[in-house]
Amino acid sequence: MNIKAQKSTPAAWLMPSAILCLLMLLQACTTTTIDEFRQGATGINSDEAIVILGRRQGAAYETRAEFVRCVGDRMARGTGAITVIPEQQFVDALFPWFEPRTAPLRSDDLQQLMAQPLVTEKMAEFGIRYIIWLDGQTETTSRMGSISCAVGPGGGGCFGFGSWEDDSSFEARIWDVSSHTSVGTISADANGQSYMPAVFVPIPLIARVEANACSSLANQLKQFVQGG
Amino acid sequence: MRMLVNLSKQEKRESGVNINSVTIKKAEPYRFCQRLLMSLVIMLTLASCAASTVTVRGSYPRPNIPAMPLSVGVYYGEGLTDFVYTELSDAGKEEYFVETGATHKDLFNTVLPAMFQRVVVLNSPADAAAQGVDAVFIPRINEFQLGMPQKTRLDAYEVWVRYNMRLTGADGSYIADWVMTAYGKTTTASFSTAERGINDASVAALRDLASNFSLGFTSVPDVRDWLQQRLQ
Repeated sequence: MNIKAQKSTPAAWLMPSAILCLLMLLQACTTTTIDEFRQGATGINSDEAIVILGRRQGAAYETRAEFVRCVGDRMARGTGAITVIPEQQFVDALFPWFEPRTAPLRSDDLQQLMAQPLVTEKMAEFGIRYIIWLDGQTETTSRMGSISCAVGPGGGGCFGFGSWEDDSSFEARIWDVSSHTSVGTISADANGQSYMPAVFVPIPLIARVEANACSSLANQLKQFVQGG
Repeated sequence: MRMLVNLSKQEKRESGVNINSVTIKKAEPYRFCQRLLMSLVIMLTLASCAASTVTVRGSYPRPNIPAMPLSVGVYYGEGLTDFVYTELSDAGKEEYFVETGATHKDLFNTVLPAMFQRVVVLNSPADAAAQGVDAVFIPRINEFQLGMPQKTRLDAYEVWVRYNMRLTGADGSYIADWVMTAYGKTTTASFSTAERGINDASVAALRDLASNFSLGFTSVPDVRDWLQQRLQ
């Protein structure tokens, strides 16, 4: 009996492994496109830092602080890590110049802002070389299907199928603080379909759209800032 | 209980205690728990019907602006310290009370010393002359609006505030009187409460007020004229 059971083991593992591979393939269904537009030469010294700020002056949406933090964290680690000043720390230290209603919108405004001695002093204190403005959001569209769940005395379960599409669109504008000019723009567009089949238990197959947009944008920004 | 059970039959008879009374006493803890549970259910039901009070709390950074060589008195009077906004439900019942008096005082106590060389908090505008200030600043809330996600269908809590700002001479004479608006919003977060959302949106609105007030003070026409005369 034991020998038979042992013989059936590879076959018993085949099905779950196939399902797992299928799930992994389905989860990877995200497309990311990066576009870079360079306007000037770049480069950063080891004693210099950058700050990544989210645009929040629009009424319709605001760039999520979590996304800004994600890009910053990725730029601050790995090969060629860059010193990134946390957004809130920078905004608080330079209050009230980088609030949603007072933040400079164009690189020309940066020149006026840098004319303020207290601002220049704080920028030098942080060692800021580049200000990166992130603008964008992730939208969920094309929701389809439905899942029904029921609970009874004998137990419960769900049945159905749901799917939706996530579309992330972000733009990063890089301002050189030393020359008060815009040196480039990088845009990241990512989209992916997520699925939620439910047979007794809902199985979420989530497309990591925003996470992919974050990592792709961070890698590109790191190369851009370093002059690559 | 144990004492009663250990009594002899004679003692029980003498003390007027019988086996029934022991049974009743054994049931008391159960009844007590039952009553406690019922009271808790009633209290929770009543609490869910009652309006919730949000006392706004936040911290505000000191503005990085050069201080003007002026001595200003500030009076936190009615319409600011005692301001409570009442949010009504769709059925017209009181849903939230938003108290912002204390946090407004914290905000102005942080912002004004960065704007002026000397700031004195006055108990009454009449104390201004005795304190030797150049002007008296009196902020007041005119209107407060709250946007709740379930009503606006947006994934955000929003706060709008309209202020009336007055600047008078130490003798109470007119210098300037102007209106300022502030707006703040915070996106709804998973596992967060409505109270937290209201607080964060209010703090964002107050930061907006602080930034516009500190940068736009000298641009108010009447203030600008007064400053030109004063700082000549």
